[in-house]
Amino acid sequence: MDALTTTALTKRYGHRELPIQRLARRLGRQPSGDVLALDDLSISVTEGEIFGFLGPNGAGKSTMIRLLLGYLHPTAGSATVLGRDIVRDSVEIRRRVGYLPGGIALYDSLTGERLLDYLGELTGRPPTRRAELLDRLEMSARTMRRPVRDYSRGMRQKMGIIQALQHDPELAILDEPTEGLDPLMQRAFYGILDDLREAGRTIFFSSHVLSEVERVCDRVAIVRRGRLVALEDVARLLERRKRNVELRVADGDLPRLEGVPGVSAIARTADGRLTCQLEGDVGPFLAALAGHSIVDLTIEPAHLEEAFLELYEDTEPDDGEPATAAASAGETGEAGEAVA
Amino acid sequence: MSWTFFKHLWRSQRAKLLIVSVAIFGWSTFLPVIYQSFGSQMKALIDSGVIPKQFTSFGGGDVFSLGGSIALGYIHPISIILVSIFAIGLTTSAVAGERQRGTLEVVLARPLSRRTLYATLFVGVVLFIGIVLAAAIAGTVVGSAASGLLGELAAERLPLLWLNGLLMWGAIAAIGLAASVSFDRLGPAIGVTVAIVVVSYFLEILGSLWPDAQGLQPYSLFHYLAAREVLAGTTDVAGLALLAGVALAAIGWALVEFPRRDLAAPS
Repeated sequence: MDALTTTALTKRYGHRELPIQRLARRLGRQPSGDVLALDDLSISVTEGEIFGFLGPNGAGKSTMIRLLLGYLHPTAGSATVLGRDIVRDSVEIRRRVGYLPGGIALYDSLTGERLLDYLGELTGRPPTRRAELLDRLEMSARTMRRPVRDYSRGMRQKMGIIQALQHDPELAILDEPTEGLDPLMQRAFYGILDDLREAGRTIFFSSHVLSEVERVCDRVAIVRRGRLVALEDVARLLERRKRNVELRVADGDLPRLEGVPGVSAIARTADGRLTCQLEGDVGPFLAALAGHSIVDLTIEPAHLEEAFLELYEDTEPDDGEPATAAASAGETGEAGEAVA
Repeated sequence: MSWTFFKHLWRSQRAKLLIVSVAIFGWSTFLPVIYQSFGSQMKALIDSGVIPKQFTSFGGGDVFSLGGSIALGYIHPISIILVSIFAIGLTTSAVAGERQRGTLEVVLARPLSRRTLYATLFVGVVLFIGIVLAAAIAGTVVGSAASGLLGELAAERLPLLWLNGLLMWGAIAAIGLAASVSFDRLGPAIGVTVAIVVVSYFLEILGSLWPDAQGLQPYSLFHYLAAREVLAGTTDVAGLALLAGVALAAIGWALVEFPRRDLAAPS
């Protein structure tokens, strides 16, 4: 079952439309001065998965989250969260969802304990996970008795994570959750996410830190200028990306790799090394090396960062045509090719 | 109405409420004493012609009668500033200020509709203003008693005086909240509200000091804060209805505008 589904979700920022502007839009004219923050976005997030929502600043990540939680109203399209419509059932959705805003601001005059009590009471559900979260994120009872104004940036971020997850929500929407956390706390946070996944909770995770998305997410959607660029399994995305290869042979007899499936950008250096890029199945490449005395062979592991950059480079000149890369969770296989 | 949110509002404002209530109590105690001590001398001074008659009434108040001195206390900048701490300061910061600081994000992430948030804020602000005005009336009673003027005070009309003040300040609070839900930043919200209050105050005071400008007074909300008339038993019911109408219009605006606004991420 889907925890979250959007269908052609579109958000256009700008002046509120007057009737004459609405008519002009229906006649196909774009209102002037408007910004298309999210364009025809269709995705599905399956229950129990950790879903990464990627894109650089201004790509539309926060707009998407704000639409899901009712801060913004969609210009077109629809979406459901936990089976509820985001426009009609916003209050009910927020009862069942935990949200960590990006760059969270908290009430400075309250103590940490009072703040969590207050936000927990507003949620109306018991804070069943609070004690565990406080322990794992190393927020001591003494710290919780201090006013929030005394907290460091990292401690505020930890408070943000705790307030979002303390009531054990069915779906957690986390906007840049590790911002300001030190590496140890990042690791503790990843452990919390793993536990939530095991408990069947769904995490919608917005980030531009690709290494952490690679570390924790099952699937990713990549957005660019409000459009979906790709939606697929992290593993599949890594599999598809080109790995850098460098090899050296003993006798200077470099193998001929031209025409080998998956091999491209072949270059030979003066000192007898060969570099190339390798994509997909490594079998044909290894077969081509057979019979050569390989002294050294390096294949760099695939990282999401490079896959991400490749996708962005592929889609750079896209100012004119709208993207058509809408895909759903059930179409993961096909979605792998869904690159605008 | 959210009880949890209301409790938070109460806790965050109670110290301020206590200070403002004590201050306005003191101020209201002071005015009957002034009337009792200097009223006859001031009247003699006016009657001698040294001070122009136009200056004998400041916004419907004076120091020549108990009712006039109480009215002066209500329209005086000191009490205006004290009540404005809630009617303008709290209302404008409650939504626009929290939007600007980013703290509204975590509240609106909870199962709380914007209308519920607004209704709770409005009830809270009206309650705080009601408490401050009650402190002012208590100060009036204590000051009158201390000056031996309790017999002159129409005690049975004090609840109506409280209601008159509540309607006038309630209308201003409703305008403040309407501005607050309409803007993302505190500056414009407070600017619009203060501008309305200052212009309104200026029209009332100008009309009271300059007979040629009396025609401007009905355009001022402060014109309908008629303490002297209320205490004299000549309450202008239409004026009270007008204040209620202004408040309802501002409430209506906020209840329509706030839920349909897009709340972009705080910058």
